[in-house]
Parts: sequence; structure tokens; C-alpha cells
Amino acid sequence: MKTNTFARFVAPSVLLMLSLMAAPLMVTFYLSVRNCVPDMEIVKVQQSGPFGTTESMTQQVKLDSSGKPITLCRFVGLDYYRSVLGLGSAQSVSANGNEPPDSSSNAAANHRSTEFTGALNFTLLYTLVTTPFVLLLGFLVALGVHHSAQRFRGTLITASLMPFIITPVVAALSIKWLFRDNGLVPYFLSQFDISVFWMAEAWSARFLIILYGIWHSAPFAFIVLYAGLQSVPQDSLEAATIDGANRWQKLRYVTLPHLMPLIIFITLIHLMDAYRVFEPVIVLTQGAFTTSVQYLTYYILVTETNPYKASAAAVLTTAGIFVLLIPLLVKTWKEQRRGG
Amino acid sequence: MKKQSIGWTALIYGGLALWLVLASLPIVWTAIISLRQYVDAFSIPIKWVAPITFENYTSLWIDKQFYKNFLNTVIVTVGTVTISLTVGCLAGYALSRYRGSFGFWLLIIALVFRSLPHSTLLPSFYVMFDAIGIRNEYFTLILVLVAINQPFTIWMLRSFFVNIPNELDEAALVDGCSRFQAFRKVIIPVMWPGVITTGLFSFLLAYNDFLLSSSLVNADKMTMPAAIANAISAESEAFLMQGVAGAVSITIPLVILVIIFQKQIVSGLTQGAVKG
Repeated sequence: MKTNTFARFVAPSVLLMLSLMAAPLMVTFYLSVRNCVPDMEIVKVQQSGPFGTTESMTQQVKLDSSGKPITLCRFVGLDYYRSVLGLGSAQSVSANGNEPPDSSSNAAANHRSTEFTGALNFTLLYTLVTTPFVLLLGFLVALGVHHSAQRFRGTLITASLMPFIITPVVAALSIKWLFRDNGLVPYFLSQFDISVFWMAEAWSARFLIILYGIWHSAPFAFIVLYAGLQSVPQDSLEAATIDGANRWQKLRYVTLPHLMPLIIFITLIHLMDAYRVFEPVIVLTQGAFTTSVQYLTYYILVTETNPYKASAAAVLTTAGIFVLLIPLLVKTWKEQRRGG
Repeated sequence: MKKQSIGWTALIYGGLALWLVLASLPIVWTAIISLRQYVDAFSIPIKWVAPITFENYTSLWIDKQFYKNFLNTVIVTVGTVTISLTVGCLAGYALSRYRGSFGFWLLIIALVFRSLPHSTLLPSFYVMFDAIGIRNEYFTLILVLVAINQPFTIWMLRSFFVNIPNELDEAALVDGCSRFQAFRKVIIPVMWPGVITTGLFSFLLAYNDFLLSSSLVNADKMTMPAAIANAISAESEAFLMQGVAGAVSITIPLVILVIIFQKQIVSGLTQGAVKG
């Protein structure tokens, strides 16, 4: 295919990605170093009452000729980055009044000062804890289904796919309802005199998010590893049997090496997906005890309604993705160079 | 598998049964309590059997007009899948046939975009769309969903197109077809299984999206998952039970989908893996 024809075929797709992914990303960079506030003016308001006319001063948004509010925008440099990272107070930003005043309680101020690092910490914890469990559980289920009778497999696969296919926000909600006060799980635990208010404490809320992550992603690992198990070379297994290998040795020295590329593939996909964990965080804690990087941007944007500060958080999040992907990118780049 | 000892068989089936219970418990229990009144749904001790009522569903679908959200979902998913596949097939086909380095770099950049958390794009979407005045439009939401779907779509379609032998379209070219004619008349007809599989995943992405669907459009244009956001913090009993009914309503089409298209979903999930 000629480059010319290629360009015409990919044009719509590239145009879409450029205008709705690449360009917004650039705009995010631009927004993150700026701040805009509505231009306020002090006006005299005359009120005519029964006892004569009173004059008062009041603040009001300036409007341009078409009736739209005028906004004043200026360059604020890294101020929002500092505020998101909790490095000292962002003087010039607060002066503009867009930052909520620090009059709230000490705890809230503390929470805010560690916003991004806190979110990043939990995101990394979530990623590191879920990955091995997803692989292990997926592998065990794959082994089980592989060794089960043919007639059960269809049903088993369908049922196993559900946690992965189901809408994440619905899945997180159904887990929340399961663990809610008077729900099924607290009832079972109460039989053993264990009483935990799952959504009311930091550790248990985090535990639930991680539990959700494993439950949601294990089916993906299962499907991929199950497909991989079908293609394990039978003669190698038979040769190992003849050489006197037991079950465990065959698994360890024949099956696992064969599945290794798939395990790396699953880990990679799961790393990317875990980094953007969002739905369980908003559903299970509403950000009360723990946040993830993707939730943080959303929260600053929607609750604090500050797209400039949210942009700073977004840029930091994007930087994190690159750090995560660098090993992979370097590897493909080297391969590409070697391949010419 | 040859003869297995009874112990192993018991272990395998016991383990699988446990997994089945764990995998389906949240969904099945939600479905059960959706047919109950609040007092029966959340009670100590747990009630295994309780009177069945469809009150939650009627109050959600009729009083809360959930059918509007259902229609919004139909509009958004149909739009997203159609545009995604049209644009993606063109690009995926070209990527499978082109040997230059542009193709390689396009795929790598797409991979980086695929891993981008969607909320990083939201602040600029807010500012950009407000400036042009296209926020709160179905079309905007559809195009955004198509765009964030593209990286995944072109990767998957490319891997399907690669399996179709080059000779097929080259024969068509020799016979006097243009590239586009060869693509439309010769390649697409044999590509249906791949197109359906990719379409399924595009559908799932649009259908399951919560973040963008709940932030780019107002309540009257929200899809079903975005609309049940109320249930997240619902403390009132009526709201909560409506949320439960909503959760089940959203899940039923997915269950049907998985049962019908199980093969395609499995092949789609393993497609990328097999290629490495």
C-alpha cells in the first residue's frame, strides 16, 4: 500500500484522535499554568423604598456587550501544581479567590495538602496488590475449567465473564450493597461475632476497592490463560510424564513457561487499567477515605469546579502514565530499530 | 484428560463451584433484592424468602422515567458503534496492509492513548466545549466516546485484517478495483466476524462508560449508568431501591449479550494476546 493511500484511509481515525485526544491534552497543559476568574466590579445600587432612596455598594460580575461575563485570565506558572502536590500555599492563586479559603478544619487542610501524593499512593497500592491476585485467581480458574468436563465449560465461561463485562459502576454498587449495613456479608460475619462498618473506615473501604479490582479483572486473566492452556504442546507434557515428572513439575516446567508471554500481556493490560481505577472509588468511598489519581482530577473539576487546578492534576496523571509505560516504549523502540 | 483421582476431581469442581458463587453473588443478590421492599431487602436477620414486588421497577421506569435514559443509551451506543466501526475499519485495514514506519508509530501512539485515564481529558473538554457551545449534545458525547475508543478499535481490527491474506485484495486490484473498492467489496464481506467482535467491544465501552457520560451531558441526556449515580449516595430508602432496580435493568441486556456472543467476546479478549 502506498503512503498516500494509507494516509487517506487512516485520516478520519487520526483526525478524531488528534482533535479529541491529542489536542485536549495540549489544552490541558495550557490550562494548568493559567487561572481565570470572572471580572468583578463594585457598583452602587440605588434602592428606592418608602423611606427614601438608599445607596449600597455591591459586587457584581462585569458583562460584555453581548451579556456574557468577562473573565480575567493570567499566567500563574506552577502554582496549581504546587497546590495539587501540597508544596506550600499557592499565594497568587488564593489571592484570586478561586481557591477555597483555608478556613476549614485542620484535618481538611491536611487532606488537601497531600491530595496528589495520597491519590498516587493508593493507585499504586491498588495496582501492586491486585495484579498478583488477578493473575493467580485467573490462572486457578483457567486450570479448573481446563480440567473440567466439556459440557460444563460453556456455562462456566459465561458466568465467569460476568464480573468483567458488567458495567463497572453497577458492579461497584452491587458490592457496596452486599457489604452495606444489614447487607448479606455483615450478616454472615455477625454469626461469628465480627462487626465491621465496611464503608465507614479507611482500611475497610480500601479493602473493598481492592476486592472489587480482583473480582472485576480476574475473568480477563482467566479467559486469556484458558486460551493459552489449550495450546500447551501435548507432546512436551507427555514427554515430561514419561520422564517421571509429577503434576507440579509439569505445571512448573512445561505449562508456566509456555504461558509466560500471556502472563506479561495480562500484567501490562492490568497495569494500565488499574492506573485509571475510578468507579469503585467514587461508589465505595466517595473519596472520603481514599482517592485515586483519576478520581482526584474528576473531584477537583466537578466538586471544586476549578478546571485549571484539575488540569494540573491531569498533567501529573499523564506524566505518571508515561513513567509506567517507559519500559514498554523503550523495548518496542529498540525492537523497531533492530527490525529496521 | 485421562483418569483423574477422585480427590483431584473433587478439588477442581469444589474450587470451580466456589468461584461461581463468588463471581455471581453480587449480581445475583442484587437481582434478588431488587424484587423486594426495602425492609425485606436489608434486614437483620437476612430473609432468604420474601414477598416479591415489582414496585422498585415501576417506580424507576415509570415515575422516574428511566425509559428516557434507556433511549439515551440506545442513541449513544448505536451512534458510537456505527462511527467507531466505519472509521476504525478504514484505519485498521490500512494499518494491516501498509509496511512503512508511519503505521508502526501510529499504533504505538494509539497504545499510549489507550492507557490514558479519561479524566485527564475532561478539564479541557469542559473549557473547549463550553467555548464552542457544544457541551450537552448527544453528538459531542458520541464523538468523544468514538475517539477514546479508536486506539483499541484500530488495534483490534488490524489484528483481524492481518489474518486475511494479501492475495485477496491484490487480486481485486489487478482486476481493476481501486483500493477502496477492494476494501469494500472484497475485504469487508469476509471480515464480518472481526467487525462483529470489535463492534461488541465498542458497544461495551460506550454502554459501560460512566465518567464521560455523566459529566459531558445534563441529566435529560444521560445514559443509564450515568443516571443511577444518584444511588451512590442515596440514603433514602426509595432512592436506594430504585438504584437497585436500575442496576439490574442495566445488567440484563449485558447478560443476554454475553450468552449470545460468548464466542466472539472470548475471541476478542484473546485476539491481542495471541498476537503478543
